Amino acid sequence: MKIGFVLNQKNISVDVSPDITLLSLLRDHLHLTGTKVGCEIGECGACSVLLDGKLVNSCLVLVPQVEGREVITIEGVSAGEGEASDLQKNFISAGAVQCGYCIPGMVMAGEALLMKNLHPSRNEIREAISGNLCRCTGYQQIVDAIEITAKERSERK
Amino acid sequence: MEKIEYIRPDTIEEALHLLSNPTTKNKILAGGTDIMVQIRIEPPDYDRFVDISRVPEMKQIKIDNGKFLLGAGLTHEEVASEPSVLNIIPFLAQACSSVGSPQIRNTGTLGGNIGNAAACADSLPVLVCLDAVACLRSESGERMIPVSELVIGPHKTQIGKSELITHFSFPLPPMNTKSRFIKIGRRNSQSISRLSIAAMGKIGEGGLIDFIRICPGAATPQTKRFTDVEDFLVGKPYDDKLFAQAGERMAAKMIEFTGIRWSTKYKEVALKAITERVLREVLSSNISVAYPDNQYPADKDSRI
Repeated sequence: MKIGFVLNQKNISVDVSPDITLLSLLRDHLHLTGTKVGCEIGECGACSVLLDGKLVNSCLVLVPQVEGREVITIEGVSAGEGEASDLQKNFISAGAVQCGYCIPGMVMAGEALLMKNLHPSRNEIREAISGNLCRCTGYQQIVDAIEITAKERSERK
Repeated sequence: MEKIEYIRPDTIEEALHLLSNPTTKNKILAGGTDIMVQIRIEPPDYDRFVDISRVPEMKQIKIDNGKFLLGAGLTHEEVASEPSVLNIIPFLAQACSSVGSPQIRNTGTLGGNIGNAAACADSLPVLVCLDAVACLRSESGERMIPVSELVIGPHKTQIGKSELITHFSFPLPPMNTKSRFIKIGRRNSQSISRLSIAAMGKIGEGGLIDFIRICPGAATPQTKRFTDVEDFLVGKPYDDKLFAQAGERMAAKMIEFTGIRWSTKYKEVALKAITERVLREVLSSNISVAYPDNQYPADKDSRI
């Protein structure tokens, strides 16, 4: 089945079986391995991407469902040529990254929040990342990283 | 996995036509948050997805002639952030906000939550509390079935193979009605309800309870309002002792339905406690909004 959509601001067209997930398309067919495979049942958030600006689990989305829509993955978040974005840099400086496996999903959850709210409370940040599991950090530093980025971005505006 | 076909209709009529095809085993796909999990656990017994997630009519929100109408295709997030829902029936927003995670709420739908009919579906006790009716449409016509009867038991419904839930409708609660949904789960996010409760009510002139509805979730195989308890409460004044008695009656009624089960020891105490809490919150005097400024009811005499 031919499916066209916008991926990280580029129009693309793929020809794949209609019963595969967006996660599988991204990793196995397009080799965008920044999006991680975790539980594959919508619990861990490691595969989170933005679909029309909304945070979704790519393991629960069928590829034909994205036809004509816009998908942003972690590869579309980084600032320019492989350069880390401000949010990603803050993840590093706040010590929010240990094993790193959940981080692409966490960054997507952070971006989804910051797109609609540049003045989130810590509780709102916790709520925004509540669908993303991290077994290393205890979450505090992740909340810090998003909070710092929110502050910086709102000051820049 | 056998290859499953995929088709995406643009209108309800088109969807119903596809579903009426007797030679194809169809599966209605909306948010996919349950289906995509099930498909990994057991081999699918269908050979085509009918994706209704982009049918605009499935997302309607309307208040008309004293009735509230919500499209079955609305996502939990869309329901939870809808101003008229927050004003008139905030407990539905509370229930929808407690489903899964932000990711799940951005895709999972109200119709899917009911159609999948998990005993722990968060929107189920709220819709039953509202006396909501589901509109089921097929090519041969439409029928309206109360949500309390539509869901027969865990993962069992009266929905026919060629039928689609298009929307839910229910009468507007009386003005100044307060509502609340409480859920007990093992953690805050991504939790499956162990037990929940939906209630709405108001105190009338003279300080007596003049309207009350109460429905527990994940407590009985079929989700029902506990009308005996409602009858017990109506006409009495706000009183903590009364709420404690109501809690006892709720627990006794639940056991009447389910018998003593492995979970009864816990649920009996828990249901009693959340009944007391929900009644206190719903019937306390500091009423927020139940449509005074927005003047929602088209029909002033609308009473449930």
